[in-house]
Amino acid sequence: MMTNFRLYLQGVKVALSSRMAYRGDFFMSMIIMLLVEMGAPLLTILIYHNGASFPGWTMYEALLLQGVFLLAKGIAFPFFFGIVWNTIGRVQEGTFDLLLIKPKSVLFLAIVTAFDSEDLGKLLGGITLFALSLSEIPPPGLWEWLQFAALFFIALTTLFGFALILAGLGIVWIGNFRVYDIFESVVNFGKYPAALFSKSVQTMITLIIPIAILGYIPATALLGKPAAGTWSAVTVSVVFLLFSLWFWHWMLKKYSSAGG
Amino acid sequence: MFSGQKMLIKLRHTIEVLKATAVATYKEWTAYRSHMAVSIFVGPVFFLTQAFIWRAVYSSRTTLNGLTLEQMLTYYGISAVINYLTYDSADWDLQMLIRTGQFLTFMLRPLSYGYFAFSQKVGHRILAFWVELVPIYLIFFYLFKIELIPVAPWWALLSIFLSFVLVFFTNYCIGITAFWLTKTEGIRRAFLVARDLAAGTFIPLTFFPEIMQKALFFLPFQFITYVPTRVFIGDYELVGLTMSIPEIVGLQFVATLVMYGVSKILWRFGIKRFTGVGA
Repeated sequence: MMTNFRLYLQGVKVALSSRMAYRGDFFMSMIIMLLVEMGAPLLTILIYHNGASFPGWTMYEALLLQGVFLLAKGIAFPFFFGIVWNTIGRVQEGTFDLLLIKPKSVLFLAIVTAFDSEDLGKLLGGITLFALSLSEIPPPGLWEWLQFAALFFIALTTLFGFALILAGLGIVWIGNFRVYDIFESVVNFGKYPAALFSKSVQTMITLIIPIAILGYIPATALLGKPAAGTWSAVTVSVVFLLFSLWFWHWMLKKYSSAGG
Repeated sequence: MFSGQKMLIKLRHTIEVLKATAVATYKEWTAYRSHMAVSIFVGPVFFLTQAFIWRAVYSSRTTLNGLTLEQMLTYYGISAVINYLTYDSADWDLQMLIRTGQFLTFMLRPLSYGYFAFSQKVGHRILAFWVELVPIYLIFFYLFKIELIPVAPWWALLSIFLSFVLVFFTNYCIGITAFWLTKTEGIRRAFLVARDLAAGTFIPLTFFPEIMQKALFFLPFQFITYVPTRVFIGDYELVGLTMSIPEIVGLQFVATLVMYGVSKILWRFGIKRFTGVGA
């Protein structure tokens, strides 16, 4: 376990060192990663400032939901979601083979070599948005915080599941970085209160593809008004993670080492 | 030989270069058409989210900032379609060539790089027209019932064409900054975010506070998405100022000329700094 942790830290160190070759660009990219994610909060703020609202939600409650979503992304993207671009890039270049011949799990090595320092900007943005909106709502109690912590952990594992599926796709769909666009378009539903969507979409994002768990469900727990179907969403998230692990290994078996 | 004939030969040559480059780019990208076709899924899904959000927002009102729900959805539908037509990667391409040193090969060619890049964009977008735009247009029109028929078709076409050229020049300017910065990924992303925000891609510009609307009126970015979308709808208004379609398209033409001038000046200074690093 400690060896794996040391290996991971080494990966982080190497990624940071190589990125520091262009320091100015790195810091600017980090800030931009933060700004890129501010589209949904900005839309929310402009809607409320123009006298409209999301029915049943105050502006800061909606921003808290988006803060939770961004916080989850802010942890996932730098620390493990990089397996997506790492796998796609390596498969395209033919260097994915190097991971196969090392005496460690391919999945672990794909994570170790994929630390994305620029995405720390997302984490910074998530913390800021979360803290700001939290300061504008009644303080949650201990029970709400515990529920939130558990659901937030599930949100992170769900994002790991998404990363595995996208990376798995990258093994067979050579060089297609647009899987990120597919991901962003689908999880866009998770940035807003689920009640805004039709019943069929709500069922889809809660019980079929776990998207509501990425922001809406943990946020409602923190706000002290847990969403209906929280337990079902947690179950679906666990099943989704197991499926994504199976999918990754299935795609790995299909790897033909042909390069791009 | 008469100067008129010389000009004609030069013009024919220019068109042939554009055609040859566009055809080569079209063929090259045909190999990656499945990558492009991802938009057929992504575009409508993004639009669906917007549709739900705005339906909920409009549930307690009929207009917001002077726009009805139908007009708001039409705005998003049209701006999405226009963005597929005008998409550009001149910034990324040029910075990559400069950073890797591959730009050196373009210094040896008897052809302006800017013109080559523009011709590439033409080929790329012709492919996108079939692969991305037509299917998305049909989905928006028949599935989402978005009225995607311009009020004044010729003015709308002209405005979209000017936007096509303007996006190229603005992105090209960002690419040129690589002569100074070598790696421009950060500034490129910063610019794209600022551009999309100021162009009205995320939300109509009339939603911004008045002071911001005033600033946005004097920037060229509104001519990228907001103006062509409003021309498509048939009226123009920003910061309480209304303009006729010919007037705003005329201003768009001026903005395009200004950006052309800016790109020429930047290029003149930037090219002197190129040393073939990485070649």
